[in-house]
Amino acid sequence: MPAGESSVAKPTKRVPEWLNSPAWYTKPSHGFTPPPVEDVVQEKEAVATTPPAAQEEIEEDEIVEESATKDEPGFQENNDVSSSRFQERAFRRTLSLDARVGLFVVELSRTRIHLAELQRLASQGIPDVGGIRATSWKLLLGYLPRSRDGWDEEVSKKRAQYEAFKHEFLINPSEVTRRTAGDQSGSLSSNKGFLPRHDVSHGDHPLSVGSTSVWNQFFKDTELFEQIDRDVKRTHPDMQFFCGDNERAHENQEALKRALFIFAKLNPGIRYVQGMNEVMAPLYYVFRTDPDESNAVHAEPDAFFCFVDLLSDFRDHFCQQLDNSAVGIRSTISQLTNLLKMHDEELWRHLEQVSKVNPQFYAFRWITLLLTQEFDFADTLRLWDSLLSNPDGPLEILLRVCCAMLLSVRNRLLAGDFTSNLKLLQHFPRVDIHLLLKAAEELKSSQ
Amino acid sequence: MALSSSSSSVSGNEFDHLFKILLIGDSGVGKSSLLLRFTADTFDDLSPTIGVDFKLKLMTLEGKRLKLTIWDTAGQERFRTLTSSYYRGAQGVILVYDVTRRDTFTNLQDVWLKEVELYSTNQDCVKLLVGNKVDRDSERAVSQHEGIAFARKYGCLFLESSAKTRINVQQCFEELVRKILETPSLVAEAKSVKKNILRPGNEPPPPENAGSCAC
Repeated sequence: MPAGESSVAKPTKRVPEWLNSPAWYTKPSHGFTPPPVEDVVQEKEAVATTPPAAQEEIEEDEIVEESATKDEPGFQENNDVSSSRFQERAFRRTLSLDARVGLFVVELSRTRIHLAELQRLASQGIPDVGGIRATSWKLLLGYLPRSRDGWDEEVSKKRAQYEAFKHEFLINPSEVTRRTAGDQSGSLSSNKGFLPRHDVSHGDHPLSVGSTSVWNQFFKDTELFEQIDRDVKRTHPDMQFFCGDNERAHENQEALKRALFIFAKLNPGIRYVQGMNEVMAPLYYVFRTDPDESNAVHAEPDAFFCFVDLLSDFRDHFCQQLDNSAVGIRSTISQLTNLLKMHDEELWRHLEQVSKVNPQFYAFRWITLLLTQEFDFADTLRLWDSLLSNPDGPLEILLRVCCAMLLSVRNRLLAGDFTSNLKLLQHFPRVDIHLLLKAAEELKSSQ
Repeated sequence: MALSSSSSSVSGNEFDHLFKILLIGDSGVGKSSLLLRFTADTFDDLSPTIGVDFKLKLMTLEGKRLKLTIWDTAGQERFRTLTSSYYRGAQGVILVYDVTRRDTFTNLQDVWLKEVELYSTNQDCVKLLVGNKVDRDSERAVSQHEGIAFARKYGCLFLESSAKTRINVQQCFEELVRKILETPSLVAEAKSVKKNILRPGNEPPPPENAGSCAC
């Protein structure tokens, strides 16, 4: 059943039984070491791109699988799936992956992209094959125009614009003063390179405290740059792509730093807020790993503009001055608690009034970071397929996913006190991302 | 994860005192790393803390079974309007700076101590000054002497630590807790208002004369 096409709208606000299914919890097997992320993504994609028919079968599988461990208390890690069965499932998923790739290829080859259709496809998960995800995200975020003919021109324009930003903001003041001096020496050639005294007096120097001083600005910028630098170096410290000890990771870090710095300079009301690195990272990763090298080399400007597009929905959450306004983070957190109350008043009451967990303690990070720190990276990408393809915008579905997260651990929450509930929500357990998204979809149809 | 949360709820009935401790200081000074070293004895590259992180540690000190709830806050200014509520009911505050970055030290006086004075609801809350990253001694920008002088001036305990090499990490928390145990008003409070700490949504008493924290 394609998501969003549920024929039976839920008449009541009761929590469906399957929400309490132990099938939520996927299996971090003992001594598991994650493979390189590229591999993880591939493997996860196979799951993500299962067409509706096969998905039903897989869910059945998982319920069967779970029944064996159902009696075990609490959050049990599942038994390892027998390898032959695993292979069988992997095979089925691989087949379906091909089919899904086909659908995307057709969709992305149209002379004019049918956005609603692309959204519908992408909401089921975008295959991580042949740069499909990169192209799809750029379209979904409006970076690429719908008309294919316009793509080259548009991206060339944007990339050139980014070059200009780099030139404007990432230039060393001594370079500025040198260039200015150069300009002047041109006009003052008759003075044989000596500046008249009055020109020097309002010239710039590192000890100038004037607010217009390029050096003063430079030191402020240095502070900003150091903050960004500290955080970028800590972006996904477990991933080779971002934090490996190699030239490529170093280049990736430099690209993220520049893009975040330019954003901060262009948005002086927000500047840089910790966590923006986390939001930029998936965009940059997807674009940089596009197998089409002619696109991948431009991952930095592409990620920058997509980040700007994405943040147009979320920028107010980063703004301290708006914390208490109708568009600030507190208001958005209230929307989440209202959503929870509407769907599961018992859980809402327990959290708010019994265990008294201030939703700010967990939902602040969930919402401002678009859930990038709650799941492993491959799951985050799958989740973002759904966020970016939501016809009502990413925030609307983000809140539903957050609500579904709460519902997915409702039994534990209902049994928990302040301490255990806060720990649970701040260190969210592994869940099956596809079931979570399905649950979020159900919340829409039952609204 | 299941193990740790269940053990905490079991032991929830078995502790003598519950203390709330807050870690504050500029971003990147090592607050989360200190906490990770203390609670799990590991050192890892960590993502920056966004908002607040919360950890639980059970320890026995001087024959008392103690349950520590430790709140690890985000360092960046943007988060301060949100972190103010975390100060409520804290018996101990750890002010952390990076001995290799002077600005993180000066900000303790300019920014963080003011936050404590403004938001702390415990007159007698214990403050501990921690200069972290002493493993990078060659890059040191704040001398131990300066740390001692600061601590004396503002009535704080003082230690220099390294989350990376373990130096003084355990001691930080033990010193702080020992001092809390020596402060009758804090111990009495930790016993009598246990429920308030468990339920921080309760309205806290208004900060009275918050400017004169006499630790």
